[in-house]
Amino acid sequence: MSAAINGKFKEIVGSDNFWDEPADLMCYSYDSAFEKPVPPDMVVKPSDYDQVQKVIQLCRDADIPLITRGAGTNLSGGTVPVSGGCVMLTTGLNKILEVNTEDLYAVTQSGVVTAKFAEHISDHGLLYPPDPGSMKMSTMGGNVAENAGGLRALKYGVTSDYLMGVKFFDMDGNLVIGGGRTVKLVTGYNLPGLMVSSEGMLGVMVELIMKIVPVPEAKKSMLVSFGDVIKASETVSKIIQAKILPATLELMDNFTIKTVEEATNIGLPVDADALLLIEVDGHPEAVEDEYRKVIDICESLGGSVKVAENEQERDALWEARRKSLSSLARLRPTLILEDATVPRSRIPEMMQAVQNIRKKYDLTIGTFGHAGDGNLHPTILTDKRDEQEMARVEKAIDEIFETALKLDGTISGEHGIGSAKAKYLESELGKGSLIFMDKLKKGLDPKGLLNPHKMGL
Amino acid sequence: MYDDVVKELKELEELVLKCMKCGTCHADCPLYNQDGKEQSVARGKIALIQSVYEGRLEDAGKILKHIDYCVLCGRCKQSCPSGVKTDEIFLKAKSVLRKIEKMKGWQKFVLSIAMEKPELLAKMAPLMHMGLKFGSKKIKDDVFKPIIPIAGGRNVVSVKSKTFADTYGGLNKAKGEEKMTVIFYPGCAANMIYTSWGEAIVETLNYFGVSVYVPEVNHCCGIPAATMGELDLFKKMVNKNIDYFDSLDAKYIVTCCPTCQYGLNEMGPKQTGRSPEQEMMDVVVFLEEVLHADIKLETGEKTTIHFPCHYDRSKDSLLESFVKDNLGTDYTKLKNQSCCGFGGTFSLKHYGKSSDISTSKAEEISTKGFQRVYTPCPGCAMQLTDALAKEGSEADVSHPVQLFYESVVKKS
Ligand SMILES: Cc1cc2nc3c(=O)[nH]c(=O)nc-3n(C[C@H](O)[C@H](O)[C@H](O)COP(=O)(O)OP(=O)(O)OC[C@H]3O[C@@H](n4cnc5c(N)ncnc54)[C@H](O)[C@@H]3O)c2cc1C
Ligand code: SF4
Ligand code: SF4
Repeated sequence: MSAAINGKFKEIVGSDNFWDEPADLMCYSYDSAFEKPVPPDMVVKPSDYDQVQKVIQLCRDADIPLITRGAGTNLSGGTVPVSGGCVMLTTGLNKILEVNTEDLYAVTQSGVVTAKFAEHISDHGLLYPPDPGSMKMSTMGGNVAENAGGLRALKYGVTSDYLMGVKFFDMDGNLVIGGGRTVKLVTGYNLPGLMVSSEGMLGVMVELIMKIVPVPEAKKSMLVSFGDVIKASETVSKIIQAKILPATLELMDNFTIKTVEEATNIGLPVDADALLLIEVDGHPEAVEDEYRKVIDICESLGGSVKVAENEQERDALWEARRKSLSSLARLRPTLILEDATVPRSRIPEMMQAVQNIRKKYDLTIGTFGHAGDGNLHPTILTDKRDEQEMARVEKAIDEIFETALKLDGTISGEHGIGSAKAKYLESELGKGSLIFMDKLKKGLDPKGLLNPHKMGL
Repeated sequence: MYDDVVKELKELEELVLKCMKCGTCHADCPLYNQDGKEQSVARGKIALIQSVYEGRLEDAGKILKHIDYCVLCGRCKQSCPSGVKTDEIFLKAKSVLRKIEKMKGWQKFVLSIAMEKPELLAKMAPLMHMGLKFGSKKIKDDVFKPIIPIAGGRNVVSVKSKTFADTYGGLNKAKGEEKMTVIFYPGCAANMIYTSWGEAIVETLNYFGVSVYVPEVNHCCGIPAATMGELDLFKKMVNKNIDYFDSLDAKYIVTCCPTCQYGLNEMGPKQTGRSPEQEMMDVVVFLEEVLHADIKLETGEKTTIHFPCHYDRSKDSLLESFVKDNLGTDYTKLKNQSCCGFGGTFSLKHYGKSSDISTSKAEEISTKGFQRVYTPCPGCAMQLTDALAKEGSEADVSHPVQLFYESVVKKS
């Protein structure tokens, strides 16, 4: 990049918040996805909205691709610069601006870390429910741009269910305000909705208004082991059919159970073919009633139930689920986490298909995930240096997605498309949708500078 | 030579490949929490090493400054789901990269005196003691604000005119019936600065019937050398100390510096293949778990604890109950559980950053009106003393054994 342009960037954000040395750039060539690293040409870290606006305008005038980056924990390559450009960090926009406990909303800048936001809300005696596994590091802006879900999604929904308003800059540097502080609001297009899952391709969000809710008064957790993974999957459907919506309904397969137990010795039943971790919450009486019903259903399908009697025991149960990814990660050098998702009644079929694919391609795959919302995480353990195995991995992934689509599901429940899944997009949405998205993108960003090439656009 | 460097970095591949770039290390990294920069955090540093040996980054010399910009607090290692040994990776990478970028002459000189000529360092102590007192203003018991801005305006605890080893070196016999004999390894900070900690610990152990060997000359544990990329010097220091431990007939090695313990008992054995014969542990853990010492005070003070990064995490709750129950205090856990930001050589090189980290902790301690902060690490104590002085807080920073020594042992 020319010295003159770099000088202008430095003028905007200050020389302490501008980097263009190869070593610095290399630190922004990757995110949490398993993708080929590509460094940007420069990195900037603005500290206020004015700087954000000026960076955008400079990029537009000088034809520089602009990639917005929160914590870089997305799992689809959303922040990897395909053809260079400028990475803009939002970590400097890290203030929570308002918590309104009467009207139940909070206003935050987009670079605030999710867990810090949730903790701040909890200090006010309220709850921000979306709790993605990455909440300790992901940013609120990244959560909206990927529409992150969490363990409580079944009952409480995902990030989009909490987004009331947004302030963002478009690629011309216009400040756009969408939504607001009221529960009902129908002014103009649903711009907050447009920002959800936009993966940094339609605008740069700087401020968000998020809904917050009262904390449920009571909760009850239980761990249920099954001799047959298909029975465990059926239990999931039965519970929902009985009109019970647990806050959490998580599944672990036998391979994951054994791996977690080997790594942690927490006393999991290693003979079980599958485990369900179930938590019901709400009004104390409703919780009492629901949890009895859940136990009955589990037992009628051959499940053996262990209930947490106190907070400590609850933590111990959760420990198993929390340790799933990490225990699997320790087995082989390379881990590829997928998030194919199906309607929950199709989970038994999906589980079966993953097992067949594992055998067919002779791979190590552990599966765990949010059974309650049909969102499974088949986790492939491999070694990226083994080319032959990697070729089989690729085929297995193709087949997992194919199966998900065949079962009326989706190629991504929560990790987004980015570069990693761009090639599958058309098979799910069809040509018409891609043309529509392309037109929308071109209308807002005619030069194609905002996170270009993502989603195949 | 450059090819050798790349080849040696590639030897780290097995350790490096375990990093799945999940970013979990962001959450607890004190530097990332300050600046939100990927260069500061383990994931970034590991990516840099990888990009050099994979041939994507050409100038390996340029990555040292990033790897060096690290408190070596080990928080990333503790929280990493994949079990990436970040400390081993960073130390080895630094020592490899040192071949390209040589250490500044004066740094090397200071390091070699501190490591290899401890007698000389001890002789210089009175000079440093005077130097510090001369150019400074006393702001509190034994805390001085240098008027000449050495050490970047840090408030320092004075270097004592006589080292702890000078006073206590040799065998200190138990009072009354002897239950056992241990070695007390003071580390440089307790030897030269927090000599009162050393005194409190040896006297308390004696009081409980334990005879204590103290090195006549304290040899540094070597960690400062390791953090500067001088792994060979580090190994030499570890060996020297283990030689000394092995020469004595004692059951335990007791210490009051978690970083020394990490150096001599964890990283040292990994690098040298040699471990001390005796079990090494923190003095509070020793008092509680081995001696079951009868320590009961009723201070009622409003206190909290700063948990040092290298403290054995499985003993955090033991330390907590010691301060709460044995010392009879009104204890509350700090919300901010960050590293203090000291990191030894890190705070010398990056005092500004280091001090930003401790300031965020000091603010909480100050606003919540704690009277005392307990910490079982002299490095953390120095750092917090400085930060609290800047906050204008009245809170004292103490070792958990000090008060018992002052109010019981000393009067017995
Ligand atoms: C261990 C682990 C566990 C995870 N668990 C979950 C989970 O349970 N549920 C889940 O849904 N996801 C999960 N994820 C994926 C990931 O954490 C989420 O996608 C998260 O929302 C990304 O946030 P981020 O701040 O890291 O965004 P980044 O990765 O930095 O960015 C993601 C995308 O958003 C865009 N973007 C970021 N900020 C802005 C902004 N201010 N304005 C416009 N665009 C922006 C970027 O350009 C990019 O396209 C997990 C990831 C890991 C590594
Ligand atoms: S937490 Fe561990 S695996 Fe994850 S990015 Fe950091 S070092 Fe790598
Ligand atoms: S050792 Fe501490 S400072 Fe260094 S990268 Fe890890 S967490 Fe950050």
